[in-house]
Amino acid sequence: MKKNSLFVMGLLLASCLGMTACGNEEESTDGIVLKVCNWEEYMDLGDWDEEETIDLDSGDIIGVNPLYEDFEEWYYENYGVKVKVEYSCFGTNEELYNMLTLGDEFDLVCPSEYMIMKLMAEDWLVPFSDGFHDTDNELNYYVRNVSPFIKEKFDEHEINSESWSKYAAGYMWGVTGILYNPDELEEEQVNSWECLRDPGLYRKITIKDNVRDSYFPAVAAIKRDKLTDGSFTGAEDYAQQLEKEMNDTSAETVAEALDFLQDTKDVAYSFETDSGKADMVTGKVLANLQWSGDAVYAMDQAEEDDMYLAYSVPEECTNLWFDGWVMLERGVGNDPAKQAAAEAFVNYVSRPDNAVRNMYYIGYTSSIAGGTDGDEVFEYVDWTYGAEEDEEDISEYDLSWFFGDDEAVIDAPTEQLTRQLFAQYPPEDVMERSSIMQYFDAEANARINRMWINVRCYNINKMPIYGWCMIGVLVITAAGVFIFSRRKKNYDLTA
Amino acid sequence: MKYRFSRKHLAIPYALFLLVFVVLPLIVIVYYAFTGNDGKPTADNLLNFFGDPNTLGTLLYSFILALVTTCVCLLIAYPVAYALAFSGLKSKSVLVMLFIMPMWINFTLRLTALKEILTLIEGNLAFHPFLNSVVGMTYDFLPFMILPIYNQLDRLDKSLIEAATDLGADKVKCFTRITLPLSMPGVISGVAMVFLPAMTNYVVLDMLYNSTYIMGSLIGSYFSAYDWHGGSMISLILLALICIFTLLTRDNESSDVRGGSLI
Repeated sequence: MKKNSLFVMGLLLASCLGMTACGNEEESTDGIVLKVCNWEEYMDLGDWDEEETIDLDSGDIIGVNPLYEDFEEWYYENYGVKVKVEYSCFGTNEELYNMLTLGDEFDLVCPSEYMIMKLMAEDWLVPFSDGFHDTDNELNYYVRNVSPFIKEKFDEHEINSESWSKYAAGYMWGVTGILYNPDELEEEQVNSWECLRDPGLYRKITIKDNVRDSYFPAVAAIKRDKLTDGSFTGAEDYAQQLEKEMNDTSAETVAEALDFLQDTKDVAYSFETDSGKADMVTGKVLANLQWSGDAVYAMDQAEEDDMYLAYSVPEECTNLWFDGWVMLERGVGNDPAKQAAAEAFVNYVSRPDNAVRNMYYIGYTSSIAGGTDGDEVFEYVDWTYGAEEDEEDISEYDLSWFFGDDEAVIDAPTEQLTRQLFAQYPPEDVMERSSIMQYFDAEANARINRMWINVRCYNINKMPIYGWCMIGVLVITAAGVFIFSRRKKNYDLTA
Repeated sequence: MKYRFSRKHLAIPYALFLLVFVVLPLIVIVYYAFTGNDGKPTADNLLNFFGDPNTLGTLLYSFILALVTTCVCLLIAYPVAYALAFSGLKSKSVLVMLFIMPMWINFTLRLTALKEILTLIEGNLAFHPFLNSVVGMTYDFLPFMILPIYNQLDRLDKSLIEAATDLGADKVKCFTRITLPLSMPGVISGVAMVFLPAMTNYVVLDMLYNSTYIMGSLIGSYFSAYDWHGGSMISLILLALICIFTLLTRDNESSDVRGGSLI
């Protein structure tokens, strides 16, 4: 208790100090204060070594200062207005949402697509101004350089008949798949989401410990026959139908998902949030449900130990996710100067060379393709994955679907077709079977959350009879001991 | 009126702390536990808990896990504490220190090490989730069992044992009639310090890959699903269990004191 109170007092003290520190800062700047909240480790914070310089044809790229500090300078140079970025971080989408409902004020945040949908539906957001969408303005790096693939996804998805593009600008994106050890497993063993309950992988595969990332593969596996059927995949409105099937939250589907995930629990090594990467590298597990960005990171780590992992996207479908910048009503609403700074911030991080800085630092894939204001992103991909001159086994890898340029083809070592390059920029046929997971309404959410809790709990009805007998014996013994000790005490007293 | 400082004023900081960080949250928990999403009073949360085989199963699972952990801790700790207390060594405190030292290292760090050791022994951690959890918890809580028992035994008046021996009691009888009963307060506080946290310390299970929920993780999962009402009810039920446990053991302790004063 004492320790606790000290700790709490310490916290209070620290927060008081923090508050006064913030107060001072605000006084000392006469410009705008822009409050940006982003995922942890999700923006280049600079401080690179000299030898980390990325030497592209368009010029060298190196991160010296945090990107948001570079932005302050850039904004002053181009707009003549002083701005101070207050940069902070959140851990999960739910955490961000809780922070917002508790009254924290931010101007610009970067949640995932389903949280953007929720924030849009609940009227938290301010739309980007018309000026932001003007491709003639040379400082509008986002609209001039965003990948046509991302742009299309943001245009065609709507909440309350307003497209995402109106409120959100893409930052990073990726898919889900299975990271596996090709020395021990064949690709065929992990190219279906059914592998998550495959007894052949008993205690050798891990799954994500979070309801959305587990529900998606469960639904895909349940509907496997339909999703892989030629008449379904060949249909004209395949993309829409796929999205409809994958966002099915009916009671029957949830019940089937419960069965699937209970099987998974009996088979899987663990439900993990972050340990999966390390367990792959140390060889504790052979396969791991993984986001593409983290898969790249794990493959890089493993290569340092001369271990080569591979990535596979199951044939039913894959979960396409985005993180995007949105402006909050409570922050920038009624403050045009602040909104201008927020939009400029989005543009600045979308400048191709800055996109490369972020990609190098974070390891995820940027929504920016470049082209209009420089080819740094494509050059960076080629720089990272392109084959050396003396390489023998080379394949052409077509990235035109992302860069919107028919010449965006890389000569890559063939082995990269199942490794980092594949994970970072999956080929077009994989992207065709990608589906976005919507934000579910309250009722469906409650149903799925309940299902998840039930998966994780020990069901008392499953207890075998001998278990009950043992408990009975235990209770009787405990009661006996208790009564006996009482008797004895009384005897002692009277003696 | 002249202000006079008295000893009870020393308690004001703690009273304030108690009010703000214990009493107020408790009121909030009780409020949430007995209201529904619409804010109206309801007992649904209570009925839901006792009507759901999954939540009851979790209660049972945590109970058994905690019970087994406590028994294992007791079986290991008592002989150690006994040996320490009755050893003729002058540097007893050094030995005791050896048992406390692991507590100085951050416990997630210790668990990470334990994970590797268990993997080495078992080959694959995931085969024995329950066993791993017991090992992890024992590893974590053992010092909390050793210390109170050791303190109790160390304080024990050794002349009582001599007297018993003089009066003809053999070693076994001496232990069962004198040492064991007099060490009970230590055992009980050790049990309380191990059993209750073991029911909720889900970090151990998470880190050692036991994917079954115990009470702590169950409450967490309710909260992360925005179900403040159900989660609060479970916290309250846990609190009630702890109260019952404490009442039962307090009864024992007080009679022990009476027994002790008689001797």
